[in-house]
Amino acid sequence: MIRRESILGKLTSLHWFLLLTIVAIAVFGTAILFSAASSAHNLQTGKPDIHADLAFNHAARFAFMLVVAIALSLAPLRLWASLAYPVYITGVVMLVAVDVAGVVVNGAERWLQLGPVRLQPSELMKLAVPLALARFYHQMFEGGRNGMWIHIPALLVVMVPVALVLRQPDLGTALMILGTGLAVIFFAGIGLRIVAAVMALAIVAVPVVYFFALHDYQRQRVDTLFNPAADPLGAGYQLQQAMIAIGSGGLAGKGYMEGAQKELDYIPEQQTDFIFTIIAEEFGFAGSIAVLLAWGVTLLQGMDIAGRSRSAFGTLAGSGFVATLALYVVINIGMVIGLLPVVGIPLPLISYGGTVMLTVMVGFGLLMSIHLNRDSNMSLRGVF
Amino acid sequence: MSRDWSRNFPSRRNIFLIGGGVMWGALTVRLAELQLLRGREFETKATENRIRLDPAPPHRGTIYDRAGRILAGNKRNFYVTLRPELAGSLQDVAKVVDQLGRLLPISESKKRTILQDAQTRARFLDILVADDLTWEDFARINVMAPELAGVTAEVGELRSYPYYAAFYHTVGYVQRANDKDVTRMIQADLDSIGEQPDTPAGQARARAIRRLYKHPQMRVGKQGVEAFAEIGLKGEPGKTRVLVNASGRVIDRLPSDDISGRPGDDMVLTIDAELQNFAIQRFGTESGSCVVMDVQSGEIIVMMSTPAPDPNQFVSGISQTAYDQLLKDEKNPLYHKAYDGTYPPGSTFKVVVGAAALESGAVDPDFSVRCTGRTWFGGRFFHCWEKRGHGTVNLHTALQKSCDIYFYEAARRAGIENVAAMARKFGLGHRYELGLTGGKAGVVPNDAWKRSNMNEQWFEGETLSVGIGQGYMSATPLQLAVMAARVAGGPGAGNSRLIASGAKVADQTIAPLEGVSEDTMQRLRAGMFAVTSEAGGTAVRAGDLDPQGLLPAPFTHARMAGKSGTAQVRVISAAERASGVISNADLAWRLRDHALFVAFAPAEAPRYACAVVVEHGDSGSRVAAPIVRDVLAATLKADPGSKPAYSPARQVASAPGDGEPT
Repeated sequence: MIRRESILGKLTSLHWFLLLTIVAIAVFGTAILFSAASSAHNLQTGKPDIHADLAFNHAARFAFMLVVAIALSLAPLRLWASLAYPVYITGVVMLVAVDVAGVVVNGAERWLQLGPVRLQPSELMKLAVPLALARFYHQMFEGGRNGMWIHIPALLVVMVPVALVLRQPDLGTALMILGTGLAVIFFAGIGLRIVAAVMALAIVAVPVVYFFALHDYQRQRVDTLFNPAADPLGAGYQLQQAMIAIGSGGLAGKGYMEGAQKELDYIPEQQTDFIFTIIAEEFGFAGSIAVLLAWGVTLLQGMDIAGRSRSAFGTLAGSGFVATLALYVVINIGMVIGLLPVVGIPLPLISYGGTVMLTVMVGFGLLMSIHLNRDSNMSLRGVF
Repeated sequence: MSRDWSRNFPSRRNIFLIGGGVMWGALTVRLAELQLLRGREFETKATENRIRLDPAPPHRGTIYDRAGRILAGNKRNFYVTLRPELAGSLQDVAKVVDQLGRLLPISESKKRTILQDAQTRARFLDILVADDLTWEDFARINVMAPELAGVTAEVGELRSYPYYAAFYHTVGYVQRANDKDVTRMIQADLDSIGEQPDTPAGQARARAIRRLYKHPQMRVGKQGVEAFAEIGLKGEPGKTRVLVNASGRVIDRLPSDDISGRPGDDMVLTIDAELQNFAIQRFGTESGSCVVMDVQSGEIIVMMSTPAPDPNQFVSGISQTAYDQLLKDEKNPLYHKAYDGTYPPGSTFKVVVGAAALESGAVDPDFSVRCTGRTWFGGRFFHCWEKRGHGTVNLHTALQKSCDIYFYEAARRAGIENVAAMARKFGLGHRYELGLTGGKAGVVPNDAWKRSNMNEQWFEGETLSVGIGQGYMSATPLQLAVMAARVAGGPGAGNSRLIASGAKVADQTIAPLEGVSEDTMQRLRAGMFAVTSEAGGTAVRAGDLDPQGLLPAPFTHARMAGKSGTAQVRVISAAERASGVISNADLAWRLRDHALFVAFAPAEAPRYACAVVVEHGDSGSRVAAPIVRDVLAATLKADPGSKPAYSPARQVASAPGDGEPT
């Protein structure tokens, strides 16, 4: 008989279905990245043209982060909660530091160079914000404070990093942090009337933001969304080519490694933000829907795990991370298929890139930790 | 723990999930729209995306002479290209170029240009390494190609000029187009269809033309007929379907038979290539030009300028040193002396002065002057070339002996305005549009001309200089040929033309010769006949074109009638005249007099007119007249005007099914 509290006991009671889904998506992502760099027959030689390094790196990163995630899942929830504020405060300090001494990449300051390591603190905030909010609410509820006023400091916790990230400027990440934070506040029970009022305000604010708050290049991306054909060689080029690739995939796609748009380098950033175009071109509508379904299943499981936790911290942190994932998927696919402006958000577990892999896998570690600790109605009294 | 909160959570979660479901639904609907409803549309776009139409250079039209000999044709061109991206790094490219240098004649400067191109241009573009290769060179590269990464040996077409230097000026040559040529061709093309350059259609056309002229096989006419008729000769480019990727790299060529272009129009010139060659050989090492015209039709039979470079060396690009040498040559080989060269007509102009004096009534046919070798006018002496004087001369003997004193007086009496008007009637002072680039009008001076060009009134003393074809007076050899043809009469004498078919030359604005009485014309011809055929004539040794009676009828024993001219290049001072004029033989070549001669033959029933200018040739009667005699004798022998000009279309017309002429 294995004791439940032992490491072995914890491992056996991991959320295996969630793990399996993640692995499935990541394996699919690896295959897609393999295809992104290779082609079944080189147009000049006719022979297969294989470049496996992208896929290999992706798989290696995923395998490493999977071990990290499982290790993190074994950490007690109390540890997550106790780290929430320090991580949040570190993140905010680093965001300020980026503002002061950041590295400019593509005209936006997003990176902080610390020795050999390049950090992107805005990415950290995607997890730090829901964690900090969850701890805040947990302690509030524990202390019996549940008036509407508690949402005001919570909103402050959200807005500080959002404002800093917007300054970089990184609209996509700022929107994701804002969305995640507002989702946690929503789950924490803010009045529906206030929610309705905020949404009404947001709708009114959209044109104001468009005309007064956006940078020129951001406004151009929005314009492009509504009329991609107007400037096919400029801002609309990437989107136009992406839609051609997706549309020409049809129902069943052109087949694995047979995508032609891909082979001719028509779509910039195809292995990162625009990876979905390869899925849609090579696997068609069926493949696109499969990806949506896989992510749908993942999110449902996430919400299920969050809902089963007996602690407010677990429920709110878990659902906050699920909201982050949902935003990733909706914004990425939405922008690639021309429903949302192009803001530079990758598709988790499939897009090539280390940062998003790190964020998402740590998040899954958190989710699995919440699952293992679902029955503990922990007290955070005495924790700083 | 708050009861409120945990009771609320399930409903909040449901709201969240419903919201998520709506978004997933929106994504699904959009994907269905793109992939299921509009799939076919995007598939077409994807294909269009990848297939580019590249211009394929059309077959350039051939230029024939009047007998169907090819003056400018196309030959097979073996050429070699290098694609840097296939060769490898820049060091690899340099190595390949070195290897090529051992197999092919490539100069060091050409090698540097290739390496520069490899560095600066997109690496997937072919660089032309060498063209116009011999079959042996081509075969050697083909054999070695597998070891030379990125090197391709190809076969195309290249312009060739079988008569070498003979038609450098008149037919011209083609060369790789530079940016200025491309701009010029875009302008010409847009003008020809009346399109504005800033409309979408105009911009598309400009792009297509730019792409066409950037093709390694494409050339543009730079001079002569080649340049003038570029649009017609060029034809319509075909298109090659190529598969390209996003950066414009050609991945594959696709079948493109259905979009072949239209070959350029063939052209036929009125020139007789053999006679032109004969004239050039007759000039030998002399520098000058010769024009022969058909008096009946106005067709130009010979239009040459010598010396000339070989136009073939321009087609593949002439080296800077060779070109500099041509520029520096004091015999001006790059200059079309017959069309662009203006010379004082000298004594050949006396024909016009005589006509002006007679027609204006200033003198009557029997008017005579006494020539003592010089005459006093306006405070200075005007000299006759014959220091001892000609005695008493009238129009006939003055023409025969080329007496200057008579024509000083004739010009003075007629007045400059009458002389100028008569010069224009005989075809001087007008730029003839023949269908080639260049062309000068020369100068027929009068009071108005002098006021607008020199801001000064006309002085009567200047009329005297014009009277012997000097002073401000200047004319091209072509104009002198026209003048001779007009004196000779004949229905087509006024209508000079060079292009027999293949290109439309802008309407000519030449006024026909009218208002000159037949009596005057007879006297001019008689005077010119006396020059070559009556004792005492300046060119009496050159008059007989057929001393042995070998020419076919009606040219047997033909004689020519002509007029010599010797045009001074330098001013002879009074001091020099006093101490004795320096003889031409003692002068530097470039200071010697030009030798001119104009003539028509046969004298009694003129058929051909000819003008020759031998630059610094010393004496018109001694140097130029024998050349004219030999050229006209050869022309009479060949009699090119008796046969219609070659028609390349005729061969096509004789297709089966054509009935007998009824």
